[in-house]
Amino acid sequence: MKAKKILAMMALAGLGTVALAQSGPIRIGVVTPLTGTYAGIGEQVKWGLNLAAKEINASGGVMGRQIELIYEDEEANPSVAVQKAEKLFQTSKVDFLTGTVNSGSTLAVGQVAERNNKLMATTVSFADSITGERCSPNVFRVNARAGMQSAALAAWVASTKPGAQVFYLGPDYEMGRSTVAAFKSAAEGKGAKSVGELFAPLDNKDYSPFFGQIRSGKPNVIYTSVAGNDTVRLFSQMSEFGVSRNVQIVGASGTVTGQNLAAIGKAAEGFVTGAGYSTMIDSPENKKFVAAFKAENKSDPDLYGADSYGVLFLYKAAVEKAKSTETDKVRTAMRDLKWSTPQGVKTMRGGDHQAMQDMYAIIVKNGKFEIQSRVSAADAIGPDVCTKF
Amino acid sequence: MLDRFNSNSSKPNAVRILAIVFFATALLFALIGTVMGDSFYIRLATEALIFGGLALSVDLLLGHVGLLPLGQALFFGLGAYVSAVVLKEWAASFWLAIIVSMLFCAFAGLIGGLIAIRSKGVYFALISFGLAQVFSRVIYNTRELGASDGMTGVPVVTVVPGLQTDNPLGFFFVTWLVIGGLYLVLRYVMQTPMGRLFGAIRVNEHRVCFLGFGALRFKITAFVAAAVVAGLSGALYPMLRGFVSPELMFFQVSGNAVVNVIIGGSGTLIGALYGAGLLTVLKSILGSFTVHHHIVIGLLFVVVVIAFPRGIVGYLVPVLEARLSKKKTGDNS
Amino acid sequence: MTSILEWLQFVLAPQSINGLSIGVAVVLMALGLTIIFGLLDVINMAHGECYALGAYAVVVILGMGVSFWWAFLLTPLLMAAMGYAMERGLIQQVFHSKDRHTLTLLLTFGMATVMEDAIKIVFGANPRSVEAPISGATELFGLFFPNYRLFVMLLGGAIIVAVWLLVFRTSIGAIVRAAAHDKDMSASLGIPVSRVYSLTFAFGVALAGIAGVLLAPIYSVFPTMGRDFVLMAFSVVIIGGMGSIKGAVLAGLVLTQIQSLSSLLISPVWNDTLLFGIMVVVLMWRPQGLFGKLGHA
Repeated sequence: MKAKKILAMMALAGLGTVALAQSGPIRIGVVTPLTGTYAGIGEQVKWGLNLAAKEINASGGVMGRQIELIYEDEEANPSVAVQKAEKLFQTSKVDFLTGTVNSGSTLAVGQVAERNNKLMATTVSFADSITGERCSPNVFRVNARAGMQSAALAAWVASTKPGAQVFYLGPDYEMGRSTVAAFKSAAEGKGAKSVGELFAPLDNKDYSPFFGQIRSGKPNVIYTSVAGNDTVRLFSQMSEFGVSRNVQIVGASGTVTGQNLAAIGKAAEGFVTGAGYSTMIDSPENKKFVAAFKAENKSDPDLYGADSYGVLFLYKAAVEKAKSTETDKVRTAMRDLKWSTPQGVKTMRGGDHQAMQDMYAIIVKNGKFEIQSRVSAADAIGPDVCTKF
Repeated sequence: MLDRFNSNSSKPNAVRILAIVFFATALLFALIGTVMGDSFYIRLATEALIFGGLALSVDLLLGHVGLLPLGQALFFGLGAYVSAVVLKEWAASFWLAIIVSMLFCAFAGLIGGLIAIRSKGVYFALISFGLAQVFSRVIYNTRELGASDGMTGVPVVTVVPGLQTDNPLGFFFVTWLVIGGLYLVLRYVMQTPMGRLFGAIRVNEHRVCFLGFGALRFKITAFVAAAVVAGLSGALYPMLRGFVSPELMFFQVSGNAVVNVIIGGSGTLIGALYGAGLLTVLKSILGSFTVHHHIVIGLLFVVVVIAFPRGIVGYLVPVLEARLSKKKTGDNS
Repeated sequence: MTSILEWLQFVLAPQSINGLSIGVAVVLMALGLTIIFGLLDVINMAHGECYALGAYAVVVILGMGVSFWWAFLLTPLLMAAMGYAMERGLIQQVFHSKDRHTLTLLLTFGMATVMEDAIKIVFGANPRSVEAPISGATELFGLFFPNYRLFVMLLGGAIIVAVWLLVFRTSIGAIVRAAAHDKDMSASLGIPVSRVYSLTFAFGVALAGIAGVLLAPIYSVFPTMGRDFVLMAFSVVIIGGMGSIKGAVLAGLVLTQIQSLSSLLISPVWNDTLLFGIMVVVLMWRPQGLFGKLGHA
């Protein structure tokens, strides 16, 4: 008797929760580094998401429901990210997750999403494998991946310096090497010549021992995939020793970012990279976005802020198309979905869950990121190598 | 760091009581979690136990032999990686993964021990630290092991028929048994002549040689044992979380283990487990209030080192002892 | 690079000179460490963070509009004050306990964690840059060297010589050496040993701070910069002999030269490993390092 009563109550409670779930706020979990070396990126992610949530909620929310963002600090450590992701899925019962920055965290959290039958999207990680060999049916990527960035940059190098003599300098770890390799093949495909390749340890203090080798190669272009503090040191030392005189420095999108630009200072002038965003993109949506972002945060958005802003609109569009927040329906809706972002209309390629967008060659001028040239989405995207779904 | 050679019959009782309290509380916690239907807390507790195992291995070296290891995460991470590779590439067998990890870490511990063990104090700490740095760099650069992204896709395995590793309560229980077993084995070893020798080495190594014992041999044994304990704990990690990454070998993990041991109470074994458990809870609670929980724990650590060097368990044991002996004298009179 | 002479001029010489500039930095760090150990028998695991704080002090002072040279003068004083407080307030608490060695190791390790986190909280995680006070480059052996680096080498060298003179040719130095050699005897001769300890610790910390000031324009400033040099400084101190100034200087210069020149042969990633390997070998063959203690130079 008692058991039956309890079961009935549980059923009612269950129904009630489901009903509540369909009308209460949509909870979106954000696992992002709020402390640690990548805290600057996490901050941009937070700003972008908060702005998007504010705008969406002000215009009526998603299917009438407000968006609620729940933040957890992943400390740029996959072990912590996995723990926090599980907390968000299980305890906070979020419907969707985003915010991971480094590729290791994205891949590990993607697995957690699979196990909890929920979807996640990354707006920062650019390792090709996330939508390549290690793709997952529950992971989407809104930002441009490394291959797309290389395509834009290689096109620019080929058009401004045909037959360039390129020297490659990267950090000696797997990601650094593969980024260099990706650009090298893209550049060589467009006629550039390699005059040397060097890999320095991560957190290397002094690049001056390498300058002799660089100089002897007599390059007119130097490509580098260092990032963060390493970039500050490399660039200021190159300018100290005069290595960067009369040489065009290009690099990965993570090499010079809003977080280290101030420290690099004048030494970053003229640096060119391939990326998916610049505040100078000339469209009404972007101008509105930049103005709103600046008003809210007293700081310009960078690509991390812009892509994080865009991910909530992707989710909104998908949920509205599927008329539900159920994982399978939203996933189907997200595939091949087009939605509007400050970078224009992006398409989420269904075959590998990679967003397609126009890519730009960006130059650092007077401490700002300006556009030099553009490559269309179709040309930049690269092949779909995901075979898991 | 207590002088543990006055055999006092109530002291082992006090420690035993604390140990029982710990394991019973852990089990109770998991049962409550299951009833509430929330697997996050159970998995968090399982993870706390796993890192407790690492803390146990640090306490074996620090609290018992007197060596401070700043790179014990090396063996933890090694155990984790070996376990993940075995499960993914060889056979999805729980027992195989465990045994291979232990063997691998024993071997690695032997080599590491031969390099490190001739030194003491800061020399040992630095060599331990350096070994961990070198190895984590090797793993960081090895594409076959996932390089900086680590390896995902560790399959779910069956421990015994009917119990899979993705069952939160079930796997918690398995971990509880493993860590509990490690604790009991280590406790037993400390009561044997060899265990007493470890303590003697910690107090005065030279005198040990004069008593006719080769201190070096015992130190290496301790080092290998600590490596195996750390490796076994590490082997459980990919089964819990389904992935491994190089961060498991980084200094932060080694440092955390040392903090766990000191705050919990070094030299007591159970202190290491208490430290791991309490700090996991503390981090979770602090994390909801502020992002700066690291510095709070750092300050707590400094305060403990200065004011309470025996740690929590170190201070509870005399209190419990006093109460127990009062009861005893109360009975006798 | 066909002829030997060309190789010497364009490959070996610049590597060697670069090694020298790094070497001076490392020696400055190692000196502070070895003096603190030699006298107090304390291993300062927070030494790297003291170096970082020196660099951040420059950032703050420059931010207030004051010139680099004032920063260079003020920072060591600030760091010395902080070091004195650290020794009096924290290290003294565990100094007289039985397990002193382990406890001071743990304490300074804890202090290092707290200091690094404090830097992150106060200054943020993003890197900062410090403008070098001397710009331009001169031509040496057919290659360009930034003037500031040459200046650092010369000034660093001068400081090292000054420290040596201070320790071995002045009465203050004699007092410190006496206290290191025999604490009780020195106390009975009227030397305020405990104050000597605190001042020596402060001095060691100030040296690390000076290294931070000098190197900030070259290596940039960020919260985890303390870890850049720590392993290397400790290795140098261990190989040279804990407490030996001569050892720290020689080992520092020689090891950085080995590192610099070895990067011509092996991939630079293994630089740290090479150093670590040398340290292990030296420890196994001669655990007290190449030279003795402070009391005996």
